[in-house]
Amino acid sequence: MKLRRDHVAGGFFVIAGAAILAISSDLPFGTLASPGAGMLPMLLLGLLMVLGAVLFVHAGESPPLAAIDWSDIRHALPVIVVACVAAAAYTALGFLAAMSLMLFFLVFVVERRPLLPAIAFSIGATVLAYAVFAVLLKSPLPRGILGF
Amino acid sequence: MDIFDNLLLGFSVAFRPDVLAYGFIGCLVGTLVGMLPGIGPLAGISILLPITFGLDATKAIVMLAGIYYGSQYGGSTTSILMRIPGEAASVMTCIDGHAMARKGRAGAALAIAAVGSFIAGTFGVIMLTLVAPPLATFALRFGPPEYTALLVLGLVFLAYMSATSLVRTMIMACTGLLLGCIGIDVMTGHFRYAFDIKELGDGIGIVPVAVGLFGLGEILSTPSKTVTDKVKPPRFRELMPSRQEWQESAKPIARGSVLGFLVGIVPGSAHIIASFLSYAVEKRVSKRPEEFGKGAVAGVAGPESANNAASTGAFVPMLALGLPTGPVTAVLMAALLIHGVPPGPQLVNDHPQVFWGFIASMYVGNLMLLALNLPLVGLFVRILQIPYAYLYPLIIMFCIVGVYLVNNSIVDVWIMLIMGVVGYLLRKLDFDPAPLVLGLVIAPTLELSLRQSLIMSSGNWTIFFTRPIAAALLAICGVLLVLSVLSWLSRKDWREKLAETEAGEK
Repeated sequence: MKLRRDHVAGGFFVIAGAAILAISSDLPFGTLASPGAGMLPMLLLGLLMVLGAVLFVHAGESPPLAAIDWSDIRHALPVIVVACVAAAAYTALGFLAAMSLMLFFLVFVVERRPLLPAIAFSIGATVLAYAVFAVLLKSPLPRGILGF
Repeated sequence: MDIFDNLLLGFSVAFRPDVLAYGFIGCLVGTLVGMLPGIGPLAGISILLPITFGLDATKAIVMLAGIYYGSQYGGSTTSILMRIPGEAASVMTCIDGHAMARKGRAGAALAIAAVGSFIAGTFGVIMLTLVAPPLATFALRFGPPEYTALLVLGLVFLAYMSATSLVRTMIMACTGLLLGCIGIDVMTGHFRYAFDIKELGDGIGIVPVAVGLFGLGEILSTPSKTVTDKVKPPRFRELMPSRQEWQESAKPIARGSVLGFLVGIVPGSAHIIASFLSYAVEKRVSKRPEEFGKGAVAGVAGPESANNAASTGAFVPMLALGLPTGPVTAVLMAALLIHGVPPGPQLVNDHPQVFWGFIASMYVGNLMLLALNLPLVGLFVRILQIPYAYLYPLIIMFCIVGVYLVNNSIVDVWIMLIMGVVGYLLRKLDFDPAPLVLGLVIAPTLELSLRQSLIMSSGNWTIFFTRPIAAALLAICGVLLVLSVLSWLSRKDWREKLAETEAGEK
């Protein structure tokens, strides 16, 4: 059997639904006259698994899994990694340092733009954003261990 | 007070210099958001939502709504000049708009799109003025069973009208509803799926989910080498359409306005469906259907008018019933709630300044957009020339800052990043994330009204069929589900037609 897109999608929702249902055992279902905290989630999980199974059964109409174009992963992967590192450093380093480093990495390392424009852009854009959010709109941005 | 007194009250609010300024900022940002690839109206509104926290509810909603309908105007510019839809509703404009541009009529196409958008937007606001208040009065009769039936109808409508299949849409809606169940159960105090993360006690916010799915997800799917910045702005004198082009656009604008408003009221990706339906109608009634795809004026005028009227029509159920018809209205509803103004039947009576000020601001906003979009098109096009390699890092920064500022919570930023990856994968598997956001928004109301209905009937589920309004709403659900199954069995519904139309015009 050729693995198709909807085999993966449908199978995922069936397995995910079953897994969440398994960890929902502590939630009371209640009765119709007194519905518990678990009633709606369990009904939804049941429906999700049924719909996932329908998708799986009709997967023959979907394109083969190998036909999905993953060429943009070379862009997506470094971008999400840099964003995650910036998020991890956001409160520790503070807004100015974390965001200017993120912009620099994305522009210089990921997009391979020239060094000086990348530095100027990273610092300039971050300082401008800081001026708008922290100074003009008085929004509390994290300062971090460096104090800014 | 009659409608004219109410409108006068609204205009007295809308013409206040500060409200005018925020309306203008919203329209300007909306135009840019609509034009720039990688950032749609939903991401734009979500990112800028924290900026409105310091404002009162009227200014906040006027600015955010300006971004929404402004983006419908802006989307046409990139569609016509670059054949890239800045936002999803502009897909149909790409076909004939860009064909007109290739024939040297880019300026005329932009002018027709802007004028059509203005007429349709204004028509939509007039209809909103007339329809929303009586609908809100009627909705005061609604109790928990009626609200349950209405929300179920909203989901079924969404599934029926969504751009992907019924099963895929329902899967996304269920996932959104499940995400909406996370946090403390308000009726029993149980913690649900919070995994000892105290920030999840209040549930998952709409903003991190929406920004992740639509903002970051779009950026991850758009490598910079695929985005062109080679675009030539039309000269100002080229903006005037010929007399024949005006004549050819008049009826499509009128039809698109009416059709768009009607579709806009219905839950689903209304403005996308409206522009497709309008294109299909114009091709069918045209005496020269063979010109479609080669630069037909009606192929620009109709869809552009329809998507603007639909974006206004979507405000009817949001304002009158408190029912979001799509993710954008869901985020706008969240914005009103943050400012302590619950949308729904009580809005007209309890907050007339917000309701009528918002409606009046839309009349003014449409005029602003007409003035912005025609003479300043050259300036906007220069912004499109900013390399995407510099633009998307900036958008990611605004996503992080915007999401963080909602609750000053880094957990929200992590949710946004996870949702970005989820959005990227959903696109690969051909799922539309919009029903997920809608499910997340309506989950608390749906659960509360469902449980209240069952408690008040002592567990008798026939309460949904013995109350006339609830029964009527559920009957419509039944009809729509039967129609969905029939179209699925015949393997020929509007989704296949859309795919065929798009494929046929390339």
